[in-house]
Amino acid sequence: MDYDPMAMDDAESLGPVVKISQADSVRVKFELQNADISFANSLRRVMLAEIPTIAIDLVEIESNSSVLADEFIAHRLGLIPLNAEGVEHLLYSRDCDCEEYCENCSVKLTLHAKCTGYENMSVSARDLVPVGERINQSLGTPVISDKDGTGPLILKLRPEQEIKLECIAKKGIAKEHAKWAPSAAIGFEYDPHNKLRHLDLWYEKDPKSEWPPSEYAKWEEPPVEGEPFDFDAVPNHFYYNVETAGNLPPDGIVTEGIKVIQQKLAGLIHELTEGEGEGGYDGPRSPDYNSGPDTGYGYSTSYGGNGGNQSAWGGGGGTTPFGGQTSYGGGGWS
Amino acid sequence: MAARPDSEDIAMDDAPTSHQPEVKDDTMVDDAGEDVEEEEDYEEEEEEEEEVQRVKLLPGSTETAASFEFSNEGHTLGNALRYVIMRNPEVEFCAYAIPHPSEAKMNVRIQTFEGTTAIEALEKGLRDIQELCDVVTDKFVAAADDFEKKKAATA
Repeated sequence: MDYDPMAMDDAESLGPVVKISQADSVRVKFELQNADISFANSLRRVMLAEIPTIAIDLVEIESNSSVLADEFIAHRLGLIPLNAEGVEHLLYSRDCDCEEYCENCSVKLTLHAKCTGYENMSVSARDLVPVGERINQSLGTPVISDKDGTGPLILKLRPEQEIKLECIAKKGIAKEHAKWAPSAAIGFEYDPHNKLRHLDLWYEKDPKSEWPPSEYAKWEEPPVEGEPFDFDAVPNHFYYNVETAGNLPPDGIVTEGIKVIQQKLAGLIHELTEGEGEGGYDGPRSPDYNSGPDTGYGYSTSYGGNGGNQSAWGGGGGTTPFGGQTSYGGGGWS
Repeated sequence: MAARPDSEDIAMDDAPTSHQPEVKDDTMVDDAGEDVEEEEDYEEEEEEEEEVQRVKLLPGSTETAASFEFSNEGHTLGNALRYVIMRNPEVEFCAYAIPHPSEAKMNVRIQTFEGTTAIEALEKGLRDIQELCDVVTDKFVAAADDFEKKKAATA
């Protein structure tokens, strides 16, 4: 270390600060301080599009006498959030040794419903039944969070109509298809008083009275009347509102997001340093790799071998057990 | 490769990198014969073992001034990397670009002062973000635990 990136004269010298203002099973609202906007945006982008989850990718329809077309139903099935607990142990189908799919890289779900009564029947995500071997009992189970306990509605059947199909759920990231998005929405905001003038607010007479203040407006000092514009000011407080689609816990999305960035970096560092230290190279890892609160890294399994190309972005991963530096996803899976 | 009759106007090396022909590893593509096929089989096997290269040093780079091409990366990495490399006092200049939106490629240009190399600066930048990520993770986990404790105390 020739210099300490945190020991400079601006706000970043204090080191990043995280404050959580709300956290429950659906969302986590937090503030990131003393980080640069480029990093804050990286985190936002990665949480939005690059966290691996599981979603239905193949649908084989055996019989469908409902009014909806096969492909229409297949599309609806794809969008159903599935529990992604333990996806880190699931392989990407493209990296798996199997022909098309197997229990190491997919979860099979079946749906069979027939309307035998005299009234129309609803078929919902609850009726999707996971079958076969699974990495754990929750991976691939449809997420059910409504108060009726039915989950999202897939289709409705008239008397005597029947639907019978088999789905293959695979691992993927939202960059490829939005159905793999872990987050329903990510709120991202900074500078609620628009002191930096990154926004040019539209108005009729007075922007102050026409634009409602942000919920974070009271967290920051309002601008003083007649204060000159600060040309050197940079955004320093970032407000996130991460709402989960149900497949991962909201705080898990944040920690997984950082993990994805770490994996990206580790893969690149590995590639850069590969040529130098022959043999003795023991893998890129963050300096405090071993100091995390959770030491139960369960990464010794399944894809130990020489593949390790489990990452979606070009399989740079190499053989190194990066990841697991967070306390999240502690692996008791062996 | 077909020769370009109109190559008089500028030297190839002066053309922007996007206009220069890609350097191909297998030069025997145009050749014919059995040797070639064997060679190709061998190469395919090798490819399976080797990982896809994700960082490439672009032609025209020197020790202290280099351009890198990242495949399958975008603003997510590019902007954060640019910022963190620029913070290194030994770096004179750093910028990133995505030359074309429909190509999953991201270029980073790094120019350093004497005493360090562009590759070192790049690696250092990557490690600095890693460190930052570690700190943010720790802070976030601590904040989440704190929040849970407070919630439990008030409930």
